[in-house]
Amino acid sequence: MPSSMLRDVYITGTGAFLPGAPVGVETMEDFIGRIAGRSSAVGRRALRWNGVETRHYALTAEGRPLHSNASMTAEATKAALDDAGLSVGDLKHLATATTQGDYIVPGHASAVHAELGAGPIEIASYQSVCASALMAAKGAWLQVRAGEADVAAAAAGEFSSRWFRPEFYEGTTLIDAKGRARVEADFLRFTLSDGAGAVIMEPKPKPDGLSLKVEWIDLTSLAGRFDPCMWAGSTFADRADMKSAWSHAGPVAAHASGSVALVQDFELLKIVIRAWIGVWLEKVDLGRIVPDQVDHLLCHYSARSLREEIVSVLKSTAAMIPEEKWFSNLPTVGNIGAASIWVMLDEFMKSGRAKTGEKVLLIVPESGRAMVGFMMCEVV
Amino acid sequence: MADGARVDDQVADTLRKLAVVFADFEQRLEATPLIRKLTRGRFELADYQLFLINLRQQVKDGALWMSRAASNVGEAHLELRSTLMRHAVTEHRDFRLLEADFVCSGGEVEVIRSAPKNVGSEAISAWMFHEASKPDPFGLLGAMFIIEGLGSIKAAPWGRLVKERLNLPDEAVRFLLYHGENDAEHMQEFEEMLRMVLPDAAVAERIVMTAKVTARLYALQIEEIAA
Repeated sequence: MPSSMLRDVYITGTGAFLPGAPVGVETMEDFIGRIAGRSSAVGRRALRWNGVETRHYALTAEGRPLHSNASMTAEATKAALDDAGLSVGDLKHLATATTQGDYIVPGHASAVHAELGAGPIEIASYQSVCASALMAAKGAWLQVRAGEADVAAAAAGEFSSRWFRPEFYEGTTLIDAKGRARVEADFLRFTLSDGAGAVIMEPKPKPDGLSLKVEWIDLTSLAGRFDPCMWAGSTFADRADMKSAWSHAGPVAAHASGSVALVQDFELLKIVIRAWIGVWLEKVDLGRIVPDQVDHLLCHYSARSLREEIVSVLKSTAAMIPEEKWFSNLPTVGNIGAASIWVMLDEFMKSGRAKTGEKVLLIVPESGRAMVGFMMCEVV
Repeated sequence: MADGARVDDQVADTLRKLAVVFADFEQRLEATPLIRKLTRGRFELADYQLFLINLRQQVKDGALWMSRAASNVGEAHLELRSTLMRHAVTEHRDFRLLEADFVCSGGEVEVIRSAPKNVGSEAISAWMFHEASKPDPFGLLGAMFIIEGLGSIKAAPWGRLVKERLNLPDEAVRFLLYHGENDAEHMQEFEEMLRMVLPDAAVAERIVMTAKVTARLYALQIEEIAA
């Protein structure tokens, strides 16, 4: 198709759903529970490192679920449709993103569609970690751009906390002789939490109020060069051998070997961070991103300290976007995986900071198996 | 003032391009069989000894090509010549440290001294001496960025992994462990060297190209280590 036949695409609505009341640092462990009844040895350190002050859990303090991942994602989608002045009946394409859906099969989009109660529509499930949000966004964007759909939603939800409950660790090799969880597993329990976010895309801006013209979305996977960095489904030792995955061992043996819980390799993470920076610098070098022309940067990052590490490299290579242009709500909502970028964008759009003509750059790095996504928008 | 800004722009541009080359280089290294063994917990003493044997020949050549490069730096850049000569002096005995590590890990010194270069080491050595033999071989700053970056970013984490996996004493891993100190200082010194030859579009381009070739040949050297 000649590019003249492609349509411009606008984000006409944003929405977020944060379950329950904000939970402070003091009580977070009540919600995810104490492994073998003992407080985590790394919890406080992880929270300081992450710079999170409050976050939300879709569990009660007793660990009972208040929502499902699908219901939260559906709520965020409805909020985004409402923000666009539309309703569920207007939706033609639903693209969803999550790290782990409520079911193993079928996909998250089916579950969210069911929760929305919409009539027959086209759906697509995107599954990875944080960057799956932009995979879904690119899908939705192309649907509208190519004229396949007039109203598309890119929605992302996470219900990480249920995976952090003690029963995912107790009785597995992730617990040492003293009954403590391995730090590679325990750290993540204090890194991720719950919620959902969504954006609506249409071929024209919203009649009143601000929209975002989506100029481009780029995703770069470097999985061909790295072992998994954050994963569930294999042990540490065998993670590069897909034939040893949990699905081959069967659920009981997989649980015992510690293959079911989410874990992260911190040494590899340091290398993956340099890889993300490499992709960013290359985009600056090629002129795809001109730092001086970016008015607002919304960069998803899991921890304040990671941001500091990235900033020093960017400064020496003239690829830095000044810190006063960075917008983040990590301290108040925490890291919500794939949902983070939309929850951040929703708060940004409602903060009154965006002015017509300004450029907004969204960046979502993902440690999973080394990926990073970029989305450039203009406020219209 | 305006000139200062122009220098800074080109230095930052060059550093950015070099950082992109280094990121690609690091990813290639991570995917080599030897480093995969190391990061996947399947590294054995024989792998470590092969690693040292294969590194030694190129490390030994390092100070030699740097000296040759220094001798080809013209009068207009005496400060750069001094810096290269100091570097060469600091590093020209490093291969002895490597030999000592090899012996401490249980190897025979004659084995490491007499081992031939692998295909990648031959290629990188030939390339370095060829470049160093040209007048004003400023492109080699790109090679230094790659090789010193490897020393300051990769060597120490590799050293810690080797030590942990093989349960070796510090004395057997000194070459890897003792790199990576003063990383910030190295970076600053490198920036100063860039300022001695920039702004100059052709030189900047040559520095980046030399970094690319060096990175590819260095990765080939590691790839060639039969793990």
